[in-house]
Amino acid sequence: MSDAARVENPLRPGRVILRRYAAYLAATLAVLAMAQQIIVAETDWARMGSAAELLREAAAFLPNLAFMPEVLFPLLETLLMALWGTAMAVALSIPIAYLAAKNISPFYPLAYGFGRGVIVLSRSTHEIIFALLFVSALGLGPLPGILALGCRSVGFMAKTTAEAIENVIPGPIEAIEATGAGPIKVFLFGVVPQVFPIWVGNVIFQLDINLRRASILGLVGAGGIGLMFAEKMQMLEYDKAGSVVLGITAMVIVGEYFSNRIRTRLI
Amino acid sequence: MTSDEMTSGIDTIHQSYLADRRIRRIWKFVILLMTLTFGVWTVDVLNIPIERVLRMFGPLATMVTERLMPPDLYYVMEPLILASILETIEMSVLGVVGGLLIAMPMAWLGAWNVTPNRNFIYPMARAVIVVARAVPTLMWAILLVAIFGFGPFAGTLALLKSTIGFAGKLMAEQVEAIDMERVDAVRATGANEIQVFFYGILPQVKPAWVGISIYSWDSGFRGSTILGFVGAGGMGLYLRAQISVMEYHTAMGLITAVIGLVILSEALSHYLRHKLY
Amino acid sequence: MALLEISQIRKTYATGEVALRGVDISLNGEEVVAVLGLSGSGKSTLLRCINRLVEPDSGTVMLDGVNITKLNKSALRKARRNMGMIFQEFNLVERLTVLENVLSGTLGSSGTLRSIFRAFKPEDVKRGMALCARVGIIDHIRKRADQLSGGQRQRVGIARALMQRPKILLVDEPTSSLDPKIGAEVMDLMSSISKEDGIPMLISVHDVQLAKKYSDRIVGLQNGLKIFDDRTATVDSESLDRIYDMAS
Repeated sequence: MSDAARVENPLRPGRVILRRYAAYLAATLAVLAMAQQIIVAETDWARMGSAAELLREAAAFLPNLAFMPEVLFPLLETLLMALWGTAMAVALSIPIAYLAAKNISPFYPLAYGFGRGVIVLSRSTHEIIFALLFVSALGLGPLPGILALGCRSVGFMAKTTAEAIENVIPGPIEAIEATGAGPIKVFLFGVVPQVFPIWVGNVIFQLDINLRRASILGLVGAGGIGLMFAEKMQMLEYDKAGSVVLGITAMVIVGEYFSNRIRTRLI
Repeated sequence: MTSDEMTSGIDTIHQSYLADRRIRRIWKFVILLMTLTFGVWTVDVLNIPIERVLRMFGPLATMVTERLMPPDLYYVMEPLILASILETIEMSVLGVVGGLLIAMPMAWLGAWNVTPNRNFIYPMARAVIVVARAVPTLMWAILLVAIFGFGPFAGTLALLKSTIGFAGKLMAEQVEAIDMERVDAVRATGANEIQVFFYGILPQVKPAWVGISIYSWDSGFRGSTILGFVGAGGMGLYLRAQISVMEYHTAMGLITAVIGLVILSEALSHYLRHKLY
Repeated sequence: MALLEISQIRKTYATGEVALRGVDISLNGEEVVAVLGLSGSGKSTLLRCINRLVEPDSGTVMLDGVNITKLNKSALRKARRNMGMIFQEFNLVERLTVLENVLSGTLGSSGTLRSIFRAFKPEDVKRGMALCARVGIIDHIRKRADQLSGGQRQRVGIARALMQRPKILLVDEPTSSLDPKIGAEVMDLMSSISKEDGIPMLISVHDVQLAKKYSDRIVGLQNGLKIFDDRTATVDSESLDRIYDMAS
């Protein structure tokens, strides 16, 4: 962009460079001003104390390894919530993907707009917000958590599935139509086999992501290991809270490893 | 081959195919049965009473139609709330800029093809990125609040962590895809590792890194809207407060504002990425 | 009466491209008719207008006494079972096995529930296998279609079309995606099947030599218009040259 400007206006290179540095300077100043306002001004530095004190406080969170076995069951619960949440998202995403795929959406653009709207809502609302709403409607426990996960990830599933449907190669569909097959059979034999591998990859990816999401839902009472973390924090048992974080971290790393392995093997 | 021979050949193949198909069907049935059993078992483990699932639709409908609608958008216009939205944006910028300043060297040190040392520095940098991704940001924010006290400083540090994980991984992937001949050419001039980074690596990944940086801000901003839930600064504080006192219309106003802002940030990030590429 | 009677077919695409400007062709019980023309002459559109994969703007297609152009959707699907189609790009479903691709030729007549579970009738499976043996791919029936070579894929396409027990084969540039030697093998196979089973074929080609070698009759198409229609044995080289006028 600026290179071209330089060639066209040989008399103005200095000004172009100057303007660029002025922009950098302005951006840096803006960031520093923000830092001044929200870090320096709004932080209670007196409470924080010396670096040594901070380190001591941080050290209180060092995981208590003896506590680790107790973390296992809530972790399992979290995993199962992620499974159910993903299953729910998958089930809901299929009709929504149908509506949101431009090439097959009925009553265009009405149903298409609806499908896209659901996708945007689902994708831009944090799982914690969903969880709070469901907890306030249904009470505590894993059920609102599962619903929150489902609502949170249905958008991604529907979006990627709709895109896969939009990118289907038309040749095989034409061939299936030419055999005299009706729309359902054309979908089953022409569209599904093409979309399926992409879809499976996305389901596994969502499962991996939902594992992370499920682990914090307990903070607002929506089940899973987050609840244990909140309890330990409340009881000031920081070492056990640290163990919970360690457990989640380990589970998420293992989950991501398997998710990557499976997805690379699928392709 | 006579046609008789061919027919008997087909018969054999056909029989073995049908036999296989029968076995496959039995397997499918077994797997279906196991899945169902597993499903029932998980409901038991999670301790979800079925009648609660069946009775949930009423309360949910009430929730959506009566309690949440219509969202109270006047509440969002109150100066206190607007100030918290500004604080959220500032937090996201600071956290992401700080995170990027750490993520960039981590991406360089943690890229297998150019890392200065494969035995020590590479695994360390990778571990930083992997752990930063795996630790849930909201819990990290709670820990930081416990250490540093309430306020946006803790939130900014939490975003710093998530940016290192998010941008670090994507940026390292970009570095691993670069053209090594150009790197070797710079190295051949006798440049040291830092010079190799600035003259051989950075020019190649710059456009992608700019895109990732913008994307990171987009993602960081989404995350920053809820950090207030745990006292780590930003608008999330008010959202939590409104829900805990059951002021659902104002809460829904805030949620609407969050969704609107997230969509705006996504549009902005999309626009910037296309403009800069 | 002719088995297939096409009259005054016209087609203009939504893009404004005029593909067919009123074409008549009739085809008897057992002949192989080559539709010869350059790419863009409208021959692919013509074939697709016959089974209405492309909806013609006007004109009629009569197959075995049935007016195809007048049929509603479900009657059209029934009529399509009688027309096997073979494609230039094979159009196989790559992720299904060879046998499943062949058996998809029965979809027009099989039940929906069966198709959901891909549970084809045992007698159809057996006939599909026999067809695979006939076109020379019996050793590959359990492989996925994307593991086959081009020539093998076109054989799968042929078996799929035959699976429909068609009254006629519509063949769209069957050898254009194949190298010449493999293309000749595929043409030999199709013409022998056509002769043995008495299934007439309408083949679109752009290669004069192929048309001359394998057809009983040649229809020349240029710019959406029929410019000649002769027995292959008597077609004069002048007519053939006219097709390539535009090119030279």
